[in-house]
Amino acid sequence: MKASPLSTIALGVVMTVSAALPALAQADFTGVWIPRYHEDYPERIPGPDLGDYQGLPLNSAARQYADSWHPDRITLPEEQCRVHVSPYIYRGPVRLGIWQERDPMTRELVALRHRISTYDQDRTIYLDGRAHPSPYAPHTWMGFSTGTWEGEKLTVTTTHLKKGWHRRNGVPMSDQATLTEHFIRNGDVLTRISIVNDAAYLTEPLVKSEDFVLQREDIGTRAWMFNCKSVVEVDRPEGVVPQFQLGENPFLDDYRKRFQIPAVGIRGGAETLYPEFARKAGASAPASAPRPAAASTAAASPSAGDTVEILKVQGDVYLLTGGGSNTVVQVGSQGVLIVDTQVAALADKVLAAIRTLSDQPIHYIINTQADADHTGGNAQLAKLGPTRPGRVPLADSVGGNNTATTSVIAHENVLNRMSGRVEGEAAKPEGAWPTDTFFGESTEVFFNGEGVQVVHQPAAHTDGDSIVFFRRSDVIVAGDVFLTTGYPVIDHARGGSVNGVIAALNHIIKLAIPTHNQEGGTMIVPGHGRLCDEMDVVEYRNMVTIVRDRIQHLIEKGLTLEQVKAAGPTADFDPRYGAATGAWTPAMFIEAIYRDLSPARGKS
Amino acid sequence: MIGRRGGRIALIAMTAAIAMPGVPPAAGQQPAAPPPPGRATDTRASRVETAPIKGRQGAPVDLTGYWVSVVTEDWQWRMVMPLKGDYSSVPLNDAGRRVADTWDPSKENACDQYGVGGVMRIPGRLHITWEDDQTLKIETDAGQQTRRLRFDPAARPSATRTLQGFSKAEWKGVAGEGPCGFDGIGPCTPPAGPPPRPKWLPLKVVTTQVRPGWLRRNGVPYSEHAVITESFMRYEAGDQPWFTVMTIVDDPAYLTQPFITSTNFKREPDGSKWNPTSCRAGT
Repeated sequence: MKASPLSTIALGVVMTVSAALPALAQADFTGVWIPRYHEDYPERIPGPDLGDYQGLPLNSAARQYADSWHPDRITLPEEQCRVHVSPYIYRGPVRLGIWQERDPMTRELVALRHRISTYDQDRTIYLDGRAHPSPYAPHTWMGFSTGTWEGEKLTVTTTHLKKGWHRRNGVPMSDQATLTEHFIRNGDVLTRISIVNDAAYLTEPLVKSEDFVLQREDIGTRAWMFNCKSVVEVDRPEGVVPQFQLGENPFLDDYRKRFQIPAVGIRGGAETLYPEFARKAGASAPASAPRPAAASTAAASPSAGDTVEILKVQGDVYLLTGGGSNTVVQVGSQGVLIVDTQVAALADKVLAAIRTLSDQPIHYIINTQADADHTGGNAQLAKLGPTRPGRVPLADSVGGNNTATTSVIAHENVLNRMSGRVEGEAAKPEGAWPTDTFFGESTEVFFNGEGVQVVHQPAAHTDGDSIVFFRRSDVIVAGDVFLTTGYPVIDHARGGSVNGVIAALNHIIKLAIPTHNQEGGTMIVPGHGRLCDEMDVVEYRNMVTIVRDRIQHLIEKGLTLEQVKAAGPTADFDPRYGAATGAWTPAMFIEAIYRDLSPARGKS
Repeated sequence: MIGRRGGRIALIAMTAAIAMPGVPPAAGQQPAAPPPPGRATDTRASRVETAPIKGRQGAPVDLTGYWVSVVTEDWQWRMVMPLKGDYSSVPLNDAGRRVADTWDPSKENACDQYGVGGVMRIPGRLHITWEDDQTLKIETDAGQQTRRLRFDPAARPSATRTLQGFSKAEWKGVAGEGPCGFDGIGPCTPPAGPPPRPKWLPLKVVTTQVRPGWLRRNGVPYSEHAVITESFMRYEAGDQPWFTVMTIVDDPAYLTQPFITSTNFKREPDGSKWNPTSCRAGT
């Protein structure tokens, strides 16, 4: 029997449609979703009161941080456009748009995209099986997310989060936190279940859930906009960070009294989340909890070891990690410029990494300070300048370097210490010494098409610190005035001071410009740890300033060093920055600041 | 002008489209009445239904065992007795507020708070077991309530309204609503044969025939007209089993819109912390 033209065409239509069918087991989340605030309304819409930590499995470090947090903090220009991180932002007033991102050639589903109206956030959840980035990669408000399907449940794992809130009345979430989410659709209701692990501030995972309803009416374009431009709202001296001094927040009890909530309940804690607590809810308990016992999540670079990893920062600038400290490399047609050279033992590996980026001579080495973990590779790498074997010495200067050898740039105090001219300092091998020193405020070179500023930061970590600013690439190398791995080391013996560190951090903040809502833009490489942007420096500046101001306050009250230590001025930051043992403990940090600020320096 | 052949192709394409679930009705067909505001139904939901899955034999996840509520949300209304008149977050209408304002604090332990519309929000423990192949039983230690989730399609409610009402259950997701056609856009056709059974599904429960009860312990009411729709969603948090139950209380008598909450439970290794406490009936 011969098929009719009609049936042939119909079959063709059906076959074409069928061939395009993907697996049907996955739920469709695309659309616009509006949250329901039928739970935790006071927190989610008007906003939580100070001292309200109910329902959170906090440790006492988190409580101390939140007790001390002052609402005036959000008037600081650099805090005004602070975005709620992805674990928290869905609890607020948001419009959530979800759509698919597909490979333009294969049409395979690559990711789900979330448009979150609050703070103008676009979040990507990759579904293509890619790995999470290096531990040294920058952290963002939304983090880096990958998803997998289990039947109709989409499970999303997020890492690389910035520091944020577990609750926006000052309850901190650390930048070490990770997020797991389950997205499940039930008809017109989308449920998001979130599980936050944060060893710095939580004693057990924080599990919450929110519900969204599918929106069918057009809500207009403007409803998706949330432009934030920071301005100076309050005229303050540079670097002021508002806080309540320890034990002096007068508002902590207001909410509890208004709603007649037991003191121990309002302070949160895992023990208050279970039914046993409801039975003894009438019991009174001290409003202040004991000092934190949280384990530190800090004190080491993400994977400090003997390997060197390369990350592109931006422009012509790369980050080489390994051995605990950071090296930065700028490469271009004129050659190679290095900032800091790590320990001597890693020099071969650092060089091998550089050679994957460029085979050009190393014209410049810049040292941000004199420590061996920043200058250890100088001697070996400085041999690879324009006159290295097989290359003809340059006839003309390159970027001002007409020495026909590698120019090693540093503040003169670095040379003084490395050459043993300062009493008590052992001289390093001469081949490692700076060859091109400066005194005063700064020096500069123009190399590979961009201006590079080397700016002295007086009396900070030591007396020889510099930051290095790549002006076209928009990258600042901070040296050891900024670390993501621990408290700043204040080396009194080498001319360091806490106020110098804070001044250096404020200088970096002034130079850096974020792209949008306090994220991206100028990138900052710390002396140790992961790649950062301005907001990460702001968090660090806030921490050092708060601790400094607390110790100053306690000194003014007449406390001895031991009494100051016992008051726990770093207790809320120790889980993130403090290492109980090792070369630089919280007690040593406190003592350095105490001696620095004492009227008679050195007196305890 | 459309040629004869072109017109024929268009006709065939339209015919094929009409046969495909989820495609809007052609001209001349009576469209469904629009859903009321806030209670819309997604047209995509009717594309392809998953095959009915039987009770215990078909269970795609295991909900049995002892579970404890972990109160990280609405703490001040769940863990301590809320103040009279505090119905913050609940979309009560005027009638609902009037009823809530009559609450007497001496009724603190009334059984009304343990009705199906509120019992899952009470801090406590659940013991979930299969009573038979078609009945999942949920017992609570707080208030000592028993809920029966019936998978038997033939099960019918009795005429008497009860605190826990009559609950129909099925393992049912939205499979088939998922992306269809080209890039998830346009009509789609189910594959030949029965649709594949997803590895994971929520448990859907719809409860009717309820006696009036409370959404909160301070007498925030729902009426006998309430329909309670729940979705039990099982997952892991770290290495521990959890489930979240999303609850929609739809009560035109006392609510201005469906009241939606989601409540989280963690599995416990055994019943050693089971602590039955009774409630006071007859309020």
